[in-house]
Amino acid sequence: MSESLGPLLQLNAITKKFGATTALDAASFEGHAGEVHALMGANGAGKSTLMNVLGGVVPMDAGEIIISGSPVQIRSPHESKALGIAFVHQELNMLPTMTVAENVFIDALPQYGGLVDRDRMRKGAAELLERLGSRFSPEQPVEELSTGDRQMVEIARALARDPRIIIFDEPTSSLTDRERQRLFAIIRQLKQSGVAVIYITHFLDEIFHISDRVTVMRNGQTVGSSAIAAITPTEVVRLMLGEVERQERLREPHAAAGKPLLSVRGLTRRGVLHDIGFELYPGEIVGLWGLLGSGRTELVHALIGLDPIDSGELRIAADSEDRPITPKALHRQIGLVTEDRRGEGLLMPLSVVGNLSLASLSQLLSPLRLIDRRREQAFAEEIVARLKIKLNDPRQAVKTLSGGNQQKVVLGRWLATGPRLFILDEPTRGLDVAAKAEVLRLTTELATEGASILLISSELEDMMRVCDRYLVISRGRIVGELPGGADKNRLMEAVSGGHSTAAAA
Amino acid sequence: MTTAAVRRIASIAAPARIVPLLLAIAILVFLYYHAPHFFAVRNLINILVQMSSLGLLAIGMTLVMIGGGIDLSMPATMAFGAVLGAFYMRAGGNPAVAALITLVAVAAVGTINGIAAAWFKMTPFVVTLASMTAVGGATVWMTNSVSVSHFPDAFFNFYLARPFGVPVTVIILVVAALIASTVMSSTIFGRWLYAVGINARAARVARIPVERVLFATYLVSALLAGLTGVLLSARLGSASANIGNDGVVLDIVSACVVGGVSIYGGTGKPLGAVFGAFFITLISNSLNQLGVSYFMNLVVKGIVIIAFIYLDKLARREP
Amino acid sequence: MKLSSLSLRAVLLDWGFVLVLCAIFVFFSLATAHFLEFGNMIAMLHTMASVVIISCGMAMVVMTGNLDISLGSIAFLSSSIGVLLMTRLGWNPVAAFSVTLLCGVAFGMLNGFIVVVLGINPLITTLGTMITLRGVGLELTQASVIPLPEGVRVLGNLAIGPIFVDILVMAAVLIAVHVLHRRTSFGRQINAIGNGAEVAARIGLPVGRLVFLDFVLAGFLASIGGIVALLQVGSLSAYLGAGLEFTAVAVVVVGGVSLFGGRGSIIPGVLLGALTFQLIVNGLTQMSANPYVYKLITGLVIFLAMYVDALKVGRIHAPPAAEAVEDEPA
Repeated sequence: MSESLGPLLQLNAITKKFGATTALDAASFEGHAGEVHALMGANGAGKSTLMNVLGGVVPMDAGEIIISGSPVQIRSPHESKALGIAFVHQELNMLPTMTVAENVFIDALPQYGGLVDRDRMRKGAAELLERLGSRFSPEQPVEELSTGDRQMVEIARALARDPRIIIFDEPTSSLTDRERQRLFAIIRQLKQSGVAVIYITHFLDEIFHISDRVTVMRNGQTVGSSAIAAITPTEVVRLMLGEVERQERLREPHAAAGKPLLSVRGLTRRGVLHDIGFELYPGEIVGLWGLLGSGRTELVHALIGLDPIDSGELRIAADSEDRPITPKALHRQIGLVTEDRRGEGLLMPLSVVGNLSLASLSQLLSPLRLIDRRREQAFAEEIVARLKIKLNDPRQAVKTLSGGNQQKVVLGRWLATGPRLFILDEPTRGLDVAAKAEVLRLTTELATEGASILLISSELEDMMRVCDRYLVISRGRIVGELPGGADKNRLMEAVSGGHSTAAAA
Repeated sequence: MTTAAVRRIASIAAPARIVPLLLAIAILVFLYYHAPHFFAVRNLINILVQMSSLGLLAIGMTLVMIGGGIDLSMPATMAFGAVLGAFYMRAGGNPAVAALITLVAVAAVGTINGIAAAWFKMTPFVVTLASMTAVGGATVWMTNSVSVSHFPDAFFNFYLARPFGVPVTVIILVVAALIASTVMSSTIFGRWLYAVGINARAARVARIPVERVLFATYLVSALLAGLTGVLLSARLGSASANIGNDGVVLDIVSACVVGGVSIYGGTGKPLGAVFGAFFITLISNSLNQLGVSYFMNLVVKGIVIIAFIYLDKLARREP
Repeated sequence: MKLSSLSLRAVLLDWGFVLVLCAIFVFFSLATAHFLEFGNMIAMLHTMASVVIISCGMAMVVMTGNLDISLGSIAFLSSSIGVLLMTRLGWNPVAAFSVTLLCGVAFGMLNGFIVVVLGINPLITTLGTMITLRGVGLELTQASVIPLPEGVRVLGNLAIGPIFVDILVMAAVLIAVHVLHRRTSFGRQINAIGNGAEVAARIGLPVGRLVFLDFVLAGFLASIGGIVALLQVGSLSAYLGAGLEFTAVAVVVVGGVSLFGGRGSIIPGVLLGALTFQLIVNGLTQMSANPYVYKLITGLVIFLAMYVDALKVGRIHAPPAAEAVEDEPA
């Protein structure tokens, strides 16, 4: 390691606010040439934002960036590239109908006499591809390539500018094992050639496999930095999640009884979910516990038909027996609360009343089959009271509410349809402490009234207050089940323990 | 004038509907002094009759636009349906059956538009552009570019009647406006349509049948186009492909945009569009009174559309 | 991990339009007497010259995933101005037509400004400019037919041997735009935008500037097409360029340029697309078919071509992307 030369890159006390939210709070980072430095943190911890500052995508409010000992200003991706920084984003920026060579050089096409120099372009691309150990032709259209190969093209584009610093943002989320190994080999190569590699990920096993250092971020701050050899996976998880305060349970663990409401068997989607099976009983809150990338969201999408599945069976209890049900049909019977309030949960410009009543309009009609406004208002007010939604007037637009109250509106809408099953996917994301507590309390009330709840959250302390049992998920598989009373150590180990066996080639 | 200043003005005048209202008042005042015969009852009734066809079409377009789409084929469909009905009447058929033929014909066009836009998810602009060209071409072909007339008296007697001095077409406009208003403000369909226009994904999560809702809008707009076609042929005494020329599309879009219907979807009211139709008719009429040519008319409208859409865009950009 | 499917379906979708073209050719050759004659062929190429030129401009706009339906009006207005300069102010044709070309550029800039700077949807923008510009043109010419001055009129029939000059102009434009699209940085980056404007912006391409220039190019080519059409007819009529933009869209889509952007070619795409249409029109004329069928056929063809386009790009019930994901080791 070239630590003798001093760090190649220093990010000091970087602060960034988006409106009222502090995304980065005096965060710091140091990168050395010829070193692979992992950057870890839960969703919203600030790792992507910090790198976006370095990549010129987002301007910082305060702090300094020092490269090779000199302070620099990075105001655009252009300036970032000019400083020798390459950013391989999580979402690949591919131009599918164009060839590999064109994709690699599109922002800096080699020219000869006013025209694009195709020979030079092809040769340049071929060289880069060879370095990356890829065997496809530079003349191939990118749309014919697999995700892994496309990523190679993205990396080639990054390498084309001979960078000193390369940032990889969650590069392995959609790769097969073999492609992942290939990526690691390339990263090792880059390290050997003296490039500073920054590797953002949430896969624990990978950082222990490939990186030399790790820096952990939480809530916009840098909470720890260490050589990999000097830290254990569990310690990393602890840094990521912070001290999990043992908070009061809102409801004692409830033992499931009777027949399951929903049973899932063999749910599989190639490359994403493997043979998932579990049961949900009425009146219980089951926590789906796993780190990001474990397949939690994919499981939810598969259950309700937003994504296709390759195989699997769902059965739901109906009357006194159970019968099979398709994911799309299941969707119609579920109350779904996601973290994406803005995109899927609510209609922002619409009033609170409008959002609350949207799924229950058929019950609010006057004899003329027109919507009875007074009934609708009463309906809304009842929900507002029951869920204690803070607002001035139910007719105000839902976008003027705070995040927590918005979330309650989403819950309230589904509550009114009386579903037997709720899926709550990160329902407390972005809420303040009081709002979190209320949402959790509501959750327990729903369960007490007999609903089944599948709760997904990366905030362990929340889960620990309400869950009756946990299903531990990792890399698309259910790897274990824990009782509701499990303590935080056991939970953290369950989710990091599954990772300490590095993925064998 | 900087963008920021314009934006401030736009948001102060928000909703941008105040602007056309003020302009309309200004124009009326101007006319009062410079062309007082404008306010003769005869002329006013004329205006209402004139705007009734635009108003009906604008109502149809409003529904489509609220859903986030657009229907450029309305005028062509209108001409198509009118011509078919006219052929039937010219051949001696019953006006009532002719009207039915018109409705079936336009419904077919609306169905094609709806299926392509809603289920096949093709871009509404291009879909209706294609049907506009095809249907328009069909009409020109069928009529050999000659207008069709010789309608039975029963036809005129019904559609040109003036119960209590109010022309039938104005009554129809009022009725249609009321129905559309009620549907949009107080029925499940209306709520669903606004939701789809605001955010189709969230609407789907809310269990709204997005495709069916969108399909319905294209069907309704086509039917309204058919209705307008019938009324127009009564007023003009003939049906031809020309009643659906390019200028009409511009008028409809102008009326909707001025009336507060956003081309991005999710907002707008049928009554607003009717007012927009009034405004556009007023402009056309006043320009005529002032001796401005038909062509400059088009120029003014083109500028009006762009200006209003820009204002709408600015007003929307504020958080 | 290549697409191993050279399935019948994929081949049909990609090359179907060539098959259609051949079918049409064969049909009309058999159905009419004079179709196959050299004179007829030359006449066809001559007639379609202006359509081809404007379609090249349209194709470049469509490559970014946008649409410009004001091209016919740009052709009309810019030609009108040129003609009026000649007939009312006595300008010589070179100067007058230079102004015409400048107008084409200016109107292209107008479209570009509204779309890029004001940020208004290009569809609505060009709808507005289409009608506004035509309105101005009609106003200026009072919708009357203005014959060209005698000396200028001859240019319309200028020929080198049996080949009309405008066929050569058409060929030159085709080649130039083709090279522009395939071999210049501008063309490649325009294609990139068609693949995804946000992706292009994230890569760092100057999307706004490129789109603006694209509209300027289209306007410029439209004015050239307008001059060609004007010279062919010998006089300016209110119908110059009317409906031309729709024909151009049809030509472009039939020729394999996808409306979603990023796909297709100028040569052979636009050329074959224009040929297809010209063949249909020519054939129908030879068959003494009703001239009003033309617009109907255009519309039907647009519709069909759009449907095929959507299928090709996989928007309608397409099979899942054949990305060969390797099996996880057990």
